[in-house]
Amino acid sequence: MIKRELKVNLKGFAVWTGTVLVLLLLIYMVYPSIVTAENGKKVDEMVKAFPPEVLKAFNMDIAGLDTAFGWLKSEGFVFLYLIIGIYSCLLGANILLKEESEKTIEYLAALPITRRRICADKIIVAVIYILAMIAAIGAFNMAALNISETPDNKQLLLLSITPVFPSLVLFAFGLFISTFTHKTKKMLGISIGMVFAAYIFNVISEMGEKVEGFKYLSAFTLADSRSVITKCEFRPLYALVSAALFAVFIALAVVRYQKKELV
Amino acid sequence: METILEIKNLTKYYGKVKGVENLSLSLNRGEIFGFIGPNGAGKSTTIRSVMNLINKDSGSVLFCGKELTRDDVEAKSRIGYLPSEVFLYDDLTVKGIFDHHESFYRRFERAAKQEATATPANGAAPAGTPAKPALSIHEKRQDLVARLKLDESRKIEDLSLGNLKKVGIVLALMHNPELIIMDEPTSGLDPIMQNVFYELLREERERGNTVFYSTHILSEVSKICDRVGIIRNGELIKAGPVDEISDRQLTFVTITSDEVDAIVAALNEKTGEATPTQAPAKEPGIKVISREGDTARFANNLPDDELIKKLAQFRIRKILIEEATLEEMFMHYYEEGQDD
Repeated sequence: MIKRELKVNLKGFAVWTGTVLVLLLLIYMVYPSIVTAENGKKVDEMVKAFPPEVLKAFNMDIAGLDTAFGWLKSEGFVFLYLIIGIYSCLLGANILLKEESEKTIEYLAALPITRRRICADKIIVAVIYILAMIAAIGAFNMAALNISETPDNKQLLLLSITPVFPSLVLFAFGLFISTFTHKTKKMLGISIGMVFAAYIFNVISEMGEKVEGFKYLSAFTLADSRSVITKCEFRPLYALVSAALFAVFIALAVVRYQKKELV
Repeated sequence: METILEIKNLTKYYGKVKGVENLSLSLNRGEIFGFIGPNGAGKSTTIRSVMNLINKDSGSVLFCGKELTRDDVEAKSRIGYLPSEVFLYDDLTVKGIFDHHESFYRRFERAAKQEATATPANGAAPAGTPAKPALSIHEKRQDLVARLKLDESRKIEDLSLGNLKKVGIVLALMHNPELIIMDEPTSGLDPIMQNVFYELLREERERGNTVFYSTHILSEVSKICDRVGIIRNGELIKAGPVDEISDRQLTFVTITSDEVDAIVAALNEKTGEATPTQAPAKEPGIKVISREGDTARFANNLPDDELIKKLAQFRIRKILIEEATLEEMFMHYYEEGQDD
């Protein structure tokens, strides 16, 4: 079953990952010509004009836009968290639900396998693809930046790993939510909406102490890229919270799926 | 006779809408059981409850005396299932889906072979275990593919409804299941393939396997079923051998007489029912179906001797007494229910 799931989900993985890599390639190709020494000053002046809250939200207070690595640390990773988050959440929302939506569940459920095994095999495949996407993007960034400049590779490696935390939580949450319905169409809007809401909550939470509480509503908080950029380390608490949330949502999804009416 | 499947007091409501209520039914090993009823009667609800695709409100399903739970993989490996509409993975070829299907049953086949090897040559198989299949899963698949004339190279998404049904039939039978559950299996099959399919079911019965077969095509039931259960509005109203149900005392009588009104009144007299158009449901009597001039046609379930005695009082020009077909019996059961 794992083999089949790997095959079925390969196309989606290739399209999403390929698109991100092409976009990154284009950015890395044009970035040096846009941000020249002369333009760099203009960009710095423009950035200084932004309110400090906005700069913080996009890590622009701790990373300059004068290099491609600087762009990646600020705007680049915000974009990557969002894209990988959407892919992960959609994968979670669809991987079990697809069988019900396409009505193949009547065949699958009659096979001599447990529902727990169905969940386990599909979760394993989804996690493989999420990690593969993060690894492919990380490897591409590492290769591309080392060709054009000399980035801090340890920092780049740690930053490349940070999408794992929000993405796995968003995947597990999407999987859990999918056990409440039978149609993938419904889940498409819900999944994308959830990821954007989490993203907006994360941005808002950076805009002052009064709204800091919003960070608890956002999976993107768990990426904690500021800690990697400033201290070159992960905060263990965030990794633990990510693991706990992933485990809780997966457990809830499996429990619900075992009792779910499949047709 | 050994009971292979026992449904006990099954009740399922969809919100406030009744699916099935308090349905109890037993299937014996080695029989073909026809489960008949019109659309919406509760056939698919019963089957899906047995397959644990939907949750029962109450009641239980026993397979070989053991509660059939959704995660009992050993029991599931001994059951073949054909849903009313076959939905398979469109990206696969027919060969691909058969290979995929086989992969789930290989370990059970290996276990069965090992068990057979371990059993002494003169030792009887333990009770409740199936007769050892003559063909392996792969051999059975090849046999079914040849007999149903399937092209394994075609993609699932390109198959017609009939061919998709044939693929579903192969999937339901290829792993040599002891219990085969089929929900309206012949829809989409042409008459030639229907005959091949009936032959396959008869062979399964000869092997000692049981078929639970839902349909609303009554002619199928009389062709291949040993016993039949009639479901109406989610309740099992009758279950028994096909012959017994067909033999229920129901005839259709056509009489031409100058005294036809008096005859109808006399035949209804004993039932105590006021009008001749009321159904002679559970009590002996008649139900007028048509009336034209001095000819009347009526459904009759009076005992033959009583009918003859009553008719003997009148002058009759012409009489035709026809035995009810299974279809007519079925309609009769349904009309009884509507009159209740």
